[in-house]
Amino acid sequence: MDQQHIRNFSIIAHIDHGKSTLADRLIETTGTLTSREMAPQVLDSMELERERGITIKAQAVRLFYEHQGETYELNLIDTPGHVDFTYEVSRALQACEGALLVVDAAQGVEAQTLANLYMALDNDLSIVPVINKIDLPSAEPERVIEELMEIGVDGTDAALVSAKQGIGIERVLAEVVEKVPPPSGDPASPLRALIFDSRFDSYKGVLVYIRVTDGQIKVGDRIRFMATAKEFEVTEMGVFGPHPLPVDRLSTGEVGFFAAQIKTVQDTRVGDTVTHADRPAREPLPGYRPAQPMVYSGLYPVDSQDYGRLREALEKLQLNDAALTFEPETSAALGFGFRAGFLGLLHMEVIQERLEREYDLTLITTAPNVVYEVQLITGEVLRVDNPALLPPAGDIAVIEEPVVEANIITPSDYIGAVMELAQERRGTYTNLSYLDNVRAMLTYRLPLGEIMYDFFDQLKSRTRGYASLDYQLDGMQAADLVRMDILLNGEVVDALSTIVHKDRAYQKGRALAEKLRDLIPRQLFEVPIQAAIGSRVIARETVKAMRKDVLAKCYGGDITRKRKLLEKQKEGKRRMKSVGNVEIPQEAFMAILRVDEQ
Amino acid sequence: MSPFTLPWGLYVHIPFCQARCTYCDFNTVTGMGEGDHIRYVEALVREWSGEEIPDGPMVSIFFGGGTPSLIDPQLLAQVIQAVRARVPFAAEMEITVETNPGTVTDDKLRILREAGVNRLSIGAQARQNAHLIALNRIHDVAAIDDTVRMARAAGFANISLDAIYGLPGQTMAEWQETVEGLLRLGPQHLSLYALIVEAGTPLQQQLERGAIRLPHDDVTAEMADWAEQRLTDAGLLPYEISNYAQPGYESRHNRLYWQLEPYLALGAGAHAYVEGRRWWNMRGVRRYMEMVEDGRDPMDNEEKLSRDEEMREYLWLGLRQRRGVVRMEFQDRFGRDPVVVFEPAFAALNEQSLVTVSPAAIQLTRRGRDVANVVARALVDASPSEAHS
Repeated sequence: MDQQHIRNFSIIAHIDHGKSTLADRLIETTGTLTSREMAPQVLDSMELERERGITIKAQAVRLFYEHQGETYELNLIDTPGHVDFTYEVSRALQACEGALLVVDAAQGVEAQTLANLYMALDNDLSIVPVINKIDLPSAEPERVIEELMEIGVDGTDAALVSAKQGIGIERVLAEVVEKVPPPSGDPASPLRALIFDSRFDSYKGVLVYIRVTDGQIKVGDRIRFMATAKEFEVTEMGVFGPHPLPVDRLSTGEVGFFAAQIKTVQDTRVGDTVTHADRPAREPLPGYRPAQPMVYSGLYPVDSQDYGRLREALEKLQLNDAALTFEPETSAALGFGFRAGFLGLLHMEVIQERLEREYDLTLITTAPNVVYEVQLITGEVLRVDNPALLPPAGDIAVIEEPVVEANIITPSDYIGAVMELAQERRGTYTNLSYLDNVRAMLTYRLPLGEIMYDFFDQLKSRTRGYASLDYQLDGMQAADLVRMDILLNGEVVDALSTIVHKDRAYQKGRALAEKLRDLIPRQLFEVPIQAAIGSRVIARETVKAMRKDVLAKCYGGDITRKRKLLEKQKEGKRRMKSVGNVEIPQEAFMAILRVDEQ
Repeated sequence: MSPFTLPWGLYVHIPFCQARCTYCDFNTVTGMGEGDHIRYVEALVREWSGEEIPDGPMVSIFFGGGTPSLIDPQLLAQVIQAVRARVPFAAEMEITVETNPGTVTDDKLRILREAGVNRLSIGAQARQNAHLIALNRIHDVAAIDDTVRMARAAGFANISLDAIYGLPGQTMAEWQETVEGLLRLGPQHLSLYALIVEAGTPLQQQLERGAIRLPHDDVTAEMADWAEQRLTDAGLLPYEISNYAQPGYESRHNRLYWQLEPYLALGAGAHAYVEGRRWWNMRGVRRYMEMVEDGRDPMDNEEKLSRDEEMREYLWLGLRQRRGVVRMEFQDRFGRDPVVVFEPAFAALNEQSLVTVSPAAIQLTRRGRDVANVVARALVDASPSEAHS
């Protein structure tokens, strides 16, 4: 296709503003799929994505669209819809020249709208504003246009759309052609293609999704990944329409995928540049950085026999997930397992769920934690991704924790409530601005460890669901942190250790001890629970000894049933971990996350 | 003693009830009439005629329910006659009828006594009318007293009373009032049960809705401990986890269950056990009757215990009794000493002070009786050691 007739674009939106539905409509309207073939949200191909209604992995679809007598190739590059995958979003946007900025006509601009918009502007994309859901009775397109103006987007000629009802779709397609510039690369230069996604296929190896920026790439080419320096021979190329269609080449500006007998996505990092081995480009495309896990958690098989299966499952998941890291770890309490690193909490939950669902593993996962940078008094610097491994307080000069810059958009009535929440989570106020006369945007610096679990839920509940949140990492910051240990029956349970702020240690320790008291079932003997910092006990609770555990009735007609009941109870106990004779249920290891719940 | 000469008994299930108690998940039906009762008892007699009679002495018949006392006592008499026609009764023969105080008259009790019934198990449950109403019992407190008085007058010298503790909203004082009230009636035997909330019962639904609340576990435990002390003082000794008797009045029938002795069973949903084989009938009353009338076996299903399983059941059931498992009896039955066969399990339980092992018997300690399920769970799948020849 002639470069002037190519348009590469993404759809960016706050969650639930209708991105996937609009994508489906564009595919349907251009006849790429018949409506009979359309399953809702065709782009979200993983089962989990559909269930959770979120996009985890990006995809690209080629659409053909006729505009004023000429045929255009429109490449729609889908972007993940969660803050954990911000880097992946930024790379997908880098592969485009334009973005549809979708805003819900009733909800208006939200935190993710802004975050995505700024990311698109950073990549010099042309913005095509789309106001969606205009069919809703509560739709207020005029107000949304005003809000768009406030954030620097000319919304006066925004396309008014109902993706659900199919209203305004043609207009959107026409605007993509008119407002998004064609790709500008040089077909004669050495090959440079941006990897914006990759996915493992068990027959073909890794499928590498690329946008060709300069030059062209053909089947049979010997290519090199500039960051990993790995070389492969291209065996197959294709585009998605959205079913895969083979092609023999991709030219400057085009989007598609290739396969090259690549065994693992670790070799094909998102953001890396593909070039030819024999005629390499001088400079890679800008912006690549290796995936950096932000959240760590211990993964332990409940049945220690499953350790090998867990390792295999993690290895398989890693083939398709360059951001997942794991290393063997041993816990005195939980035995042999792995410390796994994730981009964020959603990423962690998805991986855990896939391990349990697709690989039939029963796991104990420890509470997630962020990674700390610890400077010892000797000057040595450690990266600590497991609270149990934090050195003794006396050896530590400084502990730094990751912080984020968070933007929170809220109706102005709730500014006070949001500020209170941010304070509770050790936030530092940086800015307050107004989107219009009823909505404001608050900016805070917050420790990542304080917001990764229930901050969003709290934010929603304190603003009656109106506030929205987006954040990006903003470096490390020193804080007065200490390790809090939990002792059961006098023994430290390493898997329950956490790192907390000194000022909150007492309160957290008490709350955690109480929570554990409720979660740990009564045992044959009394079980003291202690929270301690170093050798100082800061909270104490007791699980009283079980008084009675006895079947009241057991007669002739009942014996088989009662025996099965006993066997089932026994099976339930096997699913608990025994630490120093104390049986601990799985939920207890996540208790720290729930101490703030009422 | 070979299993072929073990004493054995017969369970007869009478599923009919006037109303269903909120906690009950037994196989019961309400709303059936006298015609159904007659037809059902005919089926019982016919089922009996096909039963294979074990070799040992027959020591017990137990009419359970449901509410056996609901139906015409002549019908129960017919069953007893049919049994007697095929089997000689041992001298100590125990014939028990479960009795609901809301269903009896002087005449009924006299007819039962004359038919050979020598033990009544009367469901008293509580001595507060509010609790009886809440449980959907069909009688009041006065009816309990009347029933016992009538039973004595009819010549019953072996009377057992049932009561439940841990009832929704029940206080310790109420429980004490119940126990004291029952003791004043001079029973030979008492069964005191902690309330079990069974799935699918109205009780469970009420709890789920939050309409009622159970006492705290610790309070229920106190109730059990208090009653054990009180009954022991009154000369009613705890011979099983939930059962108390004057010496010599321990239920012969229930001991069959706890000692894994054979029992046959008649009626819908009834369970039988002989020599490691357990089988049970269809639960549906009409279905049961139709099957028997068609001359077909009303059996629903069966399980066969391996030798190891039988040994394990013998142990966890036997340990429910205060006498425990008598090592010689186990040896006679299985040819091996239980302490040797399950050495690791008993060593661990002994270590935890849950059982005591003496040369004569294995018994639960006081703590072991409180947490008998811990012991039972350790035994339900314990591996036996290999037999040494």
